[in-house]
Amino acid sequence: MAGTKEIKTHIASVQETKKITSAMYLIASTKLRRARQELDSTRPYFEALRGEIKRIFRTVHSVDSPYFYPEGDDTPLEGTYGCLVITADKGLAGAYNQNVIKEALRLLEQHPDMKLFVVGEYGRRFFTQRKIPIEHSFLYTAQNPTMARAREISALLLDGFDRGELKEIFVIYTDMESAVSFEARSTRLLPFHRTHFATSHKEREVRTSFEFLPDVKTVLNNMMPSYVSGFIYSALIDSFCCEQNARMTAMDSANQNAETLLGELSLQYNRVRQAAITQEITEISAGAKAQRQRKGR
Amino acid sequence: METFQVRILAADRAFYEGPCVSLTIPASDGEMGILARHSSMIAAIQPGTLRYQVPGEPVRLAAVSPGMVKVENNEVLVLVDSAERPEEIDAARAQRVADEAREALLQKKSRQEYQLAQAALARSLNRLRVRARGVD
Repeated sequence: MAGTKEIKTHIASVQETKKITSAMYLIASTKLRRARQELDSTRPYFEALRGEIKRIFRTVHSVDSPYFYPEGDDTPLEGTYGCLVITADKGLAGAYNQNVIKEALRLLEQHPDMKLFVVGEYGRRFFTQRKIPIEHSFLYTAQNPTMARAREISALLLDGFDRGELKEIFVIYTDMESAVSFEARSTRLLPFHRTHFATSHKEREVRTSFEFLPDVKTVLNNMMPSYVSGFIYSALIDSFCCEQNARMTAMDSANQNAETLLGELSLQYNRVRQAAITQEITEISAGAKAQRQRKGR
Repeated sequence: METFQVRILAADRAFYEGPCVSLTIPASDGEMGILARHSSMIAAIQPGTLRYQVPGEPVRLAAVSPGMVKVENNEVLVLVDSAERPEEIDAARAQRVADEAREALLQKKSRQEYQLAQAALARSLNRLRVRARGVD
């Protein structure tokens, strides 16, 4: 059995670690709250934007735009794909990063001709370690998702798309389904398919016809960059929220583990201490008895 | 004068929601005015100056970036990436951004960086213009 001193240092180190994990828990929860607020303030705009794109499709049936698949056709295109992978900057967030990377590797296996655009330090390190070439990595974006960053990313992706270097663009991000469950997802961002904007049966058909100025194509092409940057922004924030949430869960269980470990250790410490005291008393009393016996003789 | 409902949404906030007498937007082929009972239409907005008049008040200005406008049933929805009032614009910052963008344009950089700089220059010049006109 370990001595009291060893157990004491062990207890101290566990306590130190617990301090760190509970601080990380608190930091993650404030960051999560802030990111959620940002997401909420941008949501009306993107929902309205999406609604309008949908509406245009309901009124006009054939749009000849490079951003869209021709109607009724959904076959994968040939050529190089682009893939935006959103990871965190740091680990210590449960399986968050692993899930995203697993999804990315799955997509890479399906279509090896893929250029990777990586957000976050973790993903960058993972792919460089495995010698998977990265087209571009955006550092310091995972920690602080802003609209300006999203615009930068979308400008880069759209530029590749416009020049025809990238035939299709995917985004891999983590989607928060509810407060407790999240899932790594891959979505095709470009070209759009009109089913992305399909009308659900509940919505009423529009009767009013719109006048488009200057024409449908220009209006749509004007909206698309905003939509793409909006989508990337919400994907960034969504992932960020999930990352913080995953870190909160991980840190919470770390805290709990530290609690149980501390309990066990203090019990062990007390036992060892008690044993030492008992042994000392036995030794003293045995010594005293021996002395008395010698005197009595 | 007759009024109509207008909602101006920027990417980061709701810019203005309420009644409006007239609205002028920078469209791709010049400015376009919208009054009450405008026919249904959807138009593209170019970066520039948006003007709107709240009933009983002088005309207000805003610097907007690309987006779209929709008119339907006497309701106007303006969706733009960003919208700023003249008093919110930091002239010094806009000037600095414009200068930086001009410098970046002079350097021989990649196409993508060139386009980013061009867009930044257009945005900051537009801000400066709105600022100069709005705050006298």
